[in-house]
Amino acid sequence: MNAPAVVFYIGPFGITSVVVTTWGIMLVLGVSCWLVTRNLSLLKPGRLQTMLEGLVAAMEASIEAVLPGQAKQLLPFIATLWIYIVIANLTGLIPQLHSPTGHLSVTTGLAVLVFLSVHWFGIRSYGIRQYCKHYLSPTPLLLPFHLISEVTRTIALAVRLFGNIMSLELVALLVLLVAGLLVPVPLLMLHIVEALVQAYIFGMLALIYVAGALQSKQSKGNDL
Amino acid sequence: MDFDWTTFVLEIINFLILVWILKRFLYQPVLGIITRRRAGIEKTLADAKRIETEASELKRKNERYLAEWEAEKEVAQAKLSAELATLRENKLVELEAHLNEEAARRRVLDERNRKDFERLCEEKGIAQGVTFTSKLLTRLASKELEQQLFSVLIEDLQNIREQDRHAVIEAAAEPELYVKVQSAFVLENEQQEVLSRLLNEITDRTLPIEFLVHSELISGLQIDIGPWILHANLRDELKVFSGVLRHAK
Repeated sequence: MNAPAVVFYIGPFGITSVVVTTWGIMLVLGVSCWLVTRNLSLLKPGRLQTMLEGLVAAMEASIEAVLPGQAKQLLPFIATLWIYIVIANLTGLIPQLHSPTGHLSVTTGLAVLVFLSVHWFGIRSYGIRQYCKHYLSPTPLLLPFHLISEVTRTIALAVRLFGNIMSLELVALLVLLVAGLLVPVPLLMLHIVEALVQAYIFGMLALIYVAGALQSKQSKGNDL
Repeated sequence: MDFDWTTFVLEIINFLILVWILKRFLYQPVLGIITRRRAGIEKTLADAKRIETEASELKRKNERYLAEWEAEKEVAQAKLSAELATLRENKLVELEAHLNEEAARRRVLDERNRKDFERLCEEKGIAQGVTFTSKLLTRLASKELEQQLFSVLIEDLQNIREQDRHAVIEAAAEPELYVKVQSAFVLENEQQEVLSRLLNEITDRTLPIEFLVHSELISGLQIDIGPWILHANLRDELKVFSGVLRHAK
């Protein structure tokens, strides 16, 4: 896959089409959410409001199932991951646009955010000393393995999403070139499923990593 | 697999901005409305629970009241039954007394009716006796019997008591009085003269005397001197006799 084209420059920084697409996604999501949530009804919710409440409640319930009592704290980050990755994955279905998640810079940025958020939530919950101690458990000898695990899972997170979306678009392009116009339609449907699955996997893995950080300290505290 | 650091950094910034946007315009409003709705539902449930509790309490109170009312009703029924029994007993006593009184009154009434009946029978017997005697005396009536009754009358007039004599004198003192002498048979002149003379002697004056025949007297005489009447005949004797019999009962 080619490098994203630079659309314009801000000083020495070249703004690529991926960033512009991301801005577009942000704009659409922001305006849509503002339009939908400005007139929420308590007693007579409309169809759209009901759907939106169901979506948010389902995401909150998923987080609550993994981390009971922490859903309110984690919902903005995890749910935004799910929503953004789904929209970004599906953007590739629009002609002349490419999925931002099909670029390693984007997925790496998301993975780094997950990496940082794991430590952020862990440190915020237990303090930096208590949180860092879990790298030395059950024995300090395992510290290198813990550090390698942190790095590799972050890389895996970034590469998994990038590889799947990039390969999906590439395969669709190849099939379109080889077989004609209508043959890739089932593949496009597969693209939708794949987009949803990859978004769910990315968000759920991020949630599990955060939960691992919180629960490992929690179990250690209980042991103490 | 080109890696662009500008894109990498901008994506991180963009994502953090997106987190803020969605938190501000999606999660907070939606979760707020869900929380308020849940609070409303919980409030409704709490109200329903409270109402249910109040209803249970009211039901329990009602059941207690019903039990108390039932107990009061049974006590009142027992009291009423006792009062009715007492009243019934009193009424029975009153009825028995009334029946006894009625029986006594009935006995008195029966006794009176029996006595009335006996008196009626006696009067009837007396009347029949008088009739029989009257018929017998009517058959026995004769000039000789009247002569004897005339003799008895003369004898009575001659032996008249002083008190009766004054009464005759007072009766004969009325002006324009005349004496009426009735007999069952025609009196002979000698008898009329004897009687006239005797009456004049008693009254000490000459009285106008009218002699009449009245067969209903059966036998004997009747002398009317104004309001004073002297009986010496069988009819009046029978009347006196029957009257004596009636008063003798």
